[in-house]
Amino acid sequence: MAAKLSRTFILRKLHQLTGIVPLGLFFGVHMFTNAKAMNGAKVFNDAVADIHHLPFLLFIEIFGIFLPLLYHSVYGIFISAEAKTNVGAYGFGRNWLYVFQRVTGIFLFVFLLFHLLHFRWGLFAGLGLTDVAVAGNADQAFAIVAADFQSIGVVIFYILGVAATAWHLGYGLFLFAVDWGLVIGEKAQRATLAASAAVAIGLFALGTNSIFSFVRPCGLLPQVLCESEVGVVEAERF
Amino acid sequence: MSEQNGHQQKKTLNNPPEKIQVSIKRREKTDSSQYTDVFEIPYRRNLNVITVLMDIRKNPVTVDGREVTPPVWDMNCLEQVCGICTMVINGKVKQSCSALIDDILLESGGNSITLSPMTKFPNVRDLKVDRTPMFDHLKKVHAWVELDGSYDLGPGPKTSQDVQEERYAYSRCMTCGCCLEACPQYHGDNYIGPQAIAQVRLFNMHPTGEITRDDRLEALMDDNGIANCGNSQNCVQVCPMGLPLTRAIYETNREVTVHGLFGWLRK
Repeated sequence: MAAKLSRTFILRKLHQLTGIVPLGLFFGVHMFTNAKAMNGAKVFNDAVADIHHLPFLLFIEIFGIFLPLLYHSVYGIFISAEAKTNVGAYGFGRNWLYVFQRVTGIFLFVFLLFHLLHFRWGLFAGLGLTDVAVAGNADQAFAIVAADFQSIGVVIFYILGVAATAWHLGYGLFLFAVDWGLVIGEKAQRATLAASAAVAIGLFALGTNSIFSFVRPCGLLPQVLCESEVGVVEAERF
Repeated sequence: MSEQNGHQQKKTLNNPPEKIQVSIKRREKTDSSQYTDVFEIPYRRNLNVITVLMDIRKNPVTVDGREVTPPVWDMNCLEQVCGICTMVINGKVKQSCSALIDDILLESGGNSITLSPMTKFPNVRDLKVDRTPMFDHLKKVHAWVELDGSYDLGPGPKTSQDVQEERYAYSRCMTCGCCLEACPQYHGDNYIGPQAIAQVRLFNMHPTGEITRDDRLEALMDDNGIANCGNSQNCVQVCPMGLPLTRAIYETNREVTVHGLFGWLRK
């Protein structure tokens, strides 16, 4: 007997799945690629060029990033709109996490829209930002980002963006585990939540250090951990 | 001593107020507008919300001196097993029969109590609601065991101690509505809610009930089904009978995933 699946059921399961694969996976890869900025402008620019040389890049971009992102964010807003939050009366920890997942999601909608339009398509030159997109200009990639990160406002916005993404993905891992019935009991839930938090903290630390790598060689870490100091020199030349 | 025999020592107010103020959210009938009446009654020992309402009923005069109709509420068992007296007390949903005034005043630190009907069900009058939606959910998910013969088939299959214990926990549900009232996802009947999902678990774990397992799972895959759970986990926190509601939801998530999403792989 074939199970009859309702529209809501399929849309929810697809929303849960797209959040982990491909979006969560992409975020991990993205943060790791960014971390190459620790080793200076050339290493980072080469990493961007490597992405440009990926086979089927257009398909990966459309079906691996843009469409899942569009679906996950638009349907996520529908889900958030349905919530009748009640943390005032019922201030339990998990109820707050329920609210944070929706708050970070809506913030990320704004942040990612800005992030994509700016670094992917070079818009927002009017805000005093560079008008050259990182995508397609691998030779200038480091310099473009470093120039924009001279503004403390942009740096703070990006740290918030990375924090919100790490939080949303971290708790999303937990939610996926329970929504698909992988994790059931209370004890297993606590362990999964701890593991999810560890992933989130790791990704946040990785991403934040990369942001500072565009301002200072090796970011917030001691420079012995990194290769060279060409990064800042390149930025000044731009 | 008290811990040894499992007896819970009642908390009592050391300096009780002379009078307690009771604000009641009221409504004439289903579609009329809601208003508040404030009453004042003398404090006495061992009051609970029901006895407070009974005291008000004896002399239904508000603090501003108006004589009004006595407030309407539902009650039956008076020992927290029927669920019908559930209402929102100082913002939190619970049974009014087991809500002791001393506990409420100790928690709020004042001498006033606010009573309002549950917000997620049709409000019949004053504190009385119509909980029919929950019984409709039970019908929808087939929350019973089919008759397996019209004659004596002998004793049924044996079940393990673990299964018995878990099923016993789910069987304690009294359909009171606390879980739905506290659920941020449940409103306007868009989500079937933890109460019905726990009963799916109860009957899917039954050796004979399991025969119609897939019918129950498919009812939960509908548009208002289990996928609408938002994991705020308020249900398991507010459940007065201590049902392991998140366990029920996540076990059923597993069954639904296997049956609904991966079922075609078995063809």
